Amino acid sequence: MKPQRSDRLTSWWRTFAVQGSWNYRSLVGCGIAYGMLPLLRRIHAGDPVRLRDSVERNMRSFNGHPYLCAMAVGALARLEYDGVDVQRLERFRTALRGPLGTLGDRIIWVEWRPFCLLVAIVAYSLGLGPFFSTALFLALYNVGHLYLRGWAFRSGWEAGLDVGRVLRESWLDRATGRLWPANMVLLGAASVLVGRSVLERAGATGIPWFVLGVGIVLALLAFRWPRRGGSLAVLLLVSVPIVWVLISLGIVR
Amino acid sequence: MPLSELPFTHGLWLVYVVVGGLVAVDAVSWPQVMISRPLVSATVGGALLGDASAGLLVGAILELFSMRHPPLGAARYPDTGPAGLVAGASFAAAGGSAILALVAALLGGWALGWIGTASVYARRRVNERLVTPVAELAARPDLLERRHRLAIWMDVFRGAFLVAAFLVPTAALTGFAAGKPVGPVLLGYAGAALLLGIATTTGASARMTAFGLRGWPLLLAGAGAALLVLVVAT
Repeated sequence: MKPQRSDRLTSWWRTFAVQGSWNYRSLVGCGIAYGMLPLLRRIHAGDPVRLRDSVERNMRSFNGHPYLCAMAVGALARLEYDGVDVQRLERFRTALRGPLGTLGDRIIWVEWRPFCLLVAIVAYSLGLGPFFSTALFLALYNVGHLYLRGWAFRSGWEAGLDVGRVLRESWLDRATGRLWPANMVLLGAASVLVGRSVLERAGATGIPWFVLGVGIVLALLAFRWPRRGGSLAVLLLVSVPIVWVLISLGIVR
Repeated sequence: MPLSELPFTHGLWLVYVVVGGLVAVDAVSWPQVMISRPLVSATVGGALLGDASAGLLVGAILELFSMRHPPLGAARYPDTGPAGLVAGASFAAAGGSAILALVAALLGGWALGWIGTASVYARRRVNERLVTPVAELAARPDLLERRHRLAIWMDVFRGAFLVAAFLVPTAALTGFAAGKPVGPVLLGYAGAALLLGIATTTGASARMTAFGLRGWPLLLAGAGAALLVLVVAT
């Protein structure tokens, strides 16, 4: 039986929880089955054996970016509806994992989320209030988030087996790598503006100008060696209470 | 700061615990609308005590520190929701201005972020047991749904527990730091260390979004533009 619009909506809504039972054995496999259940119940209505087999199949190990898992949910349900044979379905499922993970990670986690966060941080530093800045981040980010989830689910359901071509020809691939220049500029600006806010709030004026030069050198070194740079940044924070103790004990004056 | 001077009533503490559950579950389990980012959770943490700006400042710095840990593949990353909430609340509770309090709140938040990560890993092991009887769950899809929802609720309780356990100690420590007199040497050192820490983590975070090594001129251009704006504005 063909799933109704309400089934598709419920299924799409459930993709928000696709990582709810993330685990090391099946990764998001259980979440994929959970998302597909409203569709599978309709597709296999009156045939509990086929429903059981289908749920068991779709609970197997799967991974992908959580937003793009909506595409997998839609496409896999479409294949179940079209009655595609099990071996082909398994191959399709395996083939889908890589692109959904790589594309989503690069576009959302590496580019879109930092971009929205940095826009909000810079906006706050330039005078937008804390509530509006936070709301700006949430609104901007989630416009992209909801659009992507909706597009992914719809594309998956409509394209079925052809979803690979949809992915290749989609805006996703073209969008990758577009935002990083903006992110770099925003990140540089945000660090200066947040630094200024720290000094203003804490009244720590009188920081010598050479600190700015040292900061630029450290930022560039951390850019070249990010792992060591990240550790050094935390160490610098940790050094403050240590220096405090040394001053309190009279060891440093 | 003595515990009795902390501005948390039982009711307010409970609100923090509930919000802690919400910002924790958002990170991975549901619905990933990013209220779990420290920029949001720390602002809420400060706002509940009437100082959203203090919370946002802590959140922005934690954001710069955690930006170099995107959740790619099997990478470990800090659980920033409860951490931001506790750090933002602690700095706001300490008055939202002392530099040692800011450092204490940041360190508390950063440490809690990694404690949260350990709890996320433990929860994933429990999830594994919840959904392992695949044949049984496939035969009873309603049970699969219940187990999946149970896993999500466990994430809520995980975040609530973290906030319940660490809010008061972190705020007390931050308040203690805020109450200490700071001489010019310590003030200068703490300010410089914070600035250099922000600069260093910015460089490391930039590399995560740069698609190679060629992005550093843009990073410098952004910093230069911001400096120019500050000079012109003053």
